[in-house]
Amino acid sequence: MQQGGNAERQAGRRTILKAAGASLAVAGLGATATACGGGSGSGDGTVTIRYSWWGAEDRAERINKTIALFEKKYPKIKVKTDFQPYTDFWKKFNTQASGGNPPDVFQNAIGFLRKYDAKNVLLDLSGQVDAGNLSMDGFRAGLEKFGEIDGKLLGVPVGSNSMALVIDKPVYTRAGVKPEQGWTWDDFDEAMTKIRDRTGRAGDSGMYGVMYLYDLYLRQNGKAFFTEDGLGFTEADLTTWWTKAEKGVKSGLFADAKKVAQIKPKSALSAELAGSEFTWDNFTVRYTSEGKSEYGLAPIPTTDGKRTGQYLGSLMLSGYKRTEHPKEVAQFIDFMVHDPEVAKIMGYDRGVPTTQAQYDAYRPTDPVNKAIAAYEESLVEAGVLEQITPHPNGADICEAAFLRIAEEMALGSRSVEEAVEQFFTESKTALAG
Amino acid sequence: MGSAVTHAPALEGRADPEPRHGPVKSPRPAELKRRRRRENLAGYLFMSPWIAGFLLLTAGPMVASLYFAFTDYNLFDAPRWIGLDNFSEMFGDPRWRHSVRITLWYVVVGTPVKLIAALGVALLLAQKRRGQAFYRAAFYAPSLIGASVSVAIVWKAIFSDDAVVDRTQQLFGIDAGGWTGDPELIIYSLVALTVWQFGAPMVIFLAGLKQVPRELYEAADVDGAGKLRQFWNITLPMISPVLFFNVLLETIHSFQIFSSAYIVGGGAGGNACGPADGTMVYTCYLYVQGFENSRMGLASAMAWMLLVAVALVTAVLFWSQKRWVHYEEGGR
Repeated sequence: MQQGGNAERQAGRRTILKAAGASLAVAGLGATATACGGGSGSGDGTVTIRYSWWGAEDRAERINKTIALFEKKYPKIKVKTDFQPYTDFWKKFNTQASGGNPPDVFQNAIGFLRKYDAKNVLLDLSGQVDAGNLSMDGFRAGLEKFGEIDGKLLGVPVGSNSMALVIDKPVYTRAGVKPEQGWTWDDFDEAMTKIRDRTGRAGDSGMYGVMYLYDLYLRQNGKAFFTEDGLGFTEADLTTWWTKAEKGVKSGLFADAKKVAQIKPKSALSAELAGSEFTWDNFTVRYTSEGKSEYGLAPIPTTDGKRTGQYLGSLMLSGYKRTEHPKEVAQFIDFMVHDPEVAKIMGYDRGVPTTQAQYDAYRPTDPVNKAIAAYEESLVEAGVLEQITPHPNGADICEAAFLRIAEEMALGSRSVEEAVEQFFTESKTALAG
Repeated sequence: MGSAVTHAPALEGRADPEPRHGPVKSPRPAELKRRRRRENLAGYLFMSPWIAGFLLLTAGPMVASLYFAFTDYNLFDAPRWIGLDNFSEMFGDPRWRHSVRITLWYVVVGTPVKLIAALGVALLLAQKRRGQAFYRAAFYAPSLIGASVSVAIVWKAIFSDDAVVDRTQQLFGIDAGGWTGDPELIIYSLVALTVWQFGAPMVIFLAGLKQVPRELYEAADVDGAGKLRQFWNITLPMISPVLFFNVLLETIHSFQIFSSAYIVGGGAGGNACGPADGTMVYTCYLYVQGFENSRMGLASAMAWMLLVAVALVTAVLFWSQKRWVHYEEGGR
């Protein structure tokens, strides 16, 4: 070892230290960046909860107004929101949830309850009900049981809706078709023919791919789309359903699938490709803003002239199981489902309000929302509403596959036989996972 | 990795041109070694942010994904070892085979068309003319912005129903509707998109064309060879290394098509990748399996399969270059 190298060695050491400092700084930055993700409490007792939901701009405006109201009433709770369109929402949610950083409270639907319960994501809110932070009283028509699975309260319904046949009113009048509660599938088929022959328009936009409608049809016949852990129908059942669909497309009773695909994201009904469409009743609002015609609601056709198989579907609010603020989450949900002011702001955007207080607070004045209210009331009066069949883990993937494969069948890129086989293959994989 | 730094010219074993402390004494080997080690250490430390990034963000995930490829992993539950099941499921899945077919079609059709366009425009731009710089920039611009999501969105708007392309078709009496909603046509709009972005290979071709010695053309002129003959016998062989480079790069690039297929095909909301899976290219299906169906194990297996496939294609291309790529004497 030579002494002469000392100065150089020191210089070298300094370089090393500097380099180390630089890399530490970079690492430090990284650490703060990640730390930001989880933070939510602060010194003065204010708590921030994250709330995410799917939807679009107009819903965002309404939701922001309700949050402003909430923050006024609960000054110690701040709400940070985040939204995406439906499919993007779940992609982001999946990624966040698997990383242990999902929102504290989020919009949810029946098809996802079992899935995320199995993955330990959903907060059982019943504890918060017992603690008095969330009230489950005052819900309409048994809706308070809607988010319960295996005795756990996994979601609180914020809006109810039901499947309906949304119709282009002038088209139906011109065709001389008057759908009434209790009409049968034969009546429906006859109506389709009349619409095609008298108005030159397809009667329906593509009902064969609507999982929720097929579910109703199956329920009318004593089956269901889902059982608790699988599919509730056979390949033969689906073959019958899709064979009829294929014939309908070929004969022009149902809209040309290619055209329907081309005009997306607009609906075939508002694009005047079809005279009616099976969907959720609150979609009438959307069609009215999208299309030029006047839209109304018709009942679901039946097999026996009575039973429609219908149930109330609903959007829900759920909490994250490991949220740091379960109490605030419960208070937030409680406010959102009970406060009358919220109903006045939200209207029927997420369906008809689920609590009586909110239902009474918002009385629609425009014809479209009035029609939705009347439709839901008519369902209650007709006594056709039943309990929903639970959706198993993987149901969301089955639904997407059902829609996609039905479209391929209608486009002619798959035979009915191939389509049925493909659907059962994909479903088995999805439901096993 | 480290050698690149230690061979930095200013530092190593260099005779000092301006002696500052007395007479020049060449350092003894032992000291040299020490100094080099010190410098190495400093080098590594300076590189450590990059190394850490590489290990954490590239190497680590790759190793993890290789492991996941042999597991059933849904992001939530712990990965479960299932051996080669992901791979056998892949081969048995008609949707996967469809995605392979559509990707291969895209590579085989899109890449040559793009390269022909690039070479054609490069040939035009290689000649001296007024406003040359402007044309070069104008033709290069699309490939600068081309990979962005916004361009894909614009593309979708151009080719959708009742938009520019559809209306132009109607002028000619073709009532095919928008391309983006048509399972057969939508893939052509993607090919058009990639061809439009020929700027990057074009610039490389331009550089190659500039390297071809003028004398060769003069000699060919004297011998009475026509333009086509000159292109075939002089230009192509002379730029074949550049051509090889472009073929290689663009082929690999085409295999990795994702964002345009995903966005033009539907992306946000609705079908993931086009009506009736019309733009369901390989990476799109990988994304669907990973992020929509939460099957990260299967998606990892698919990713590795793609890596192997691209490596194979690259190997074949390298093997084939002996037959058609001409390097100058000594250039090999």
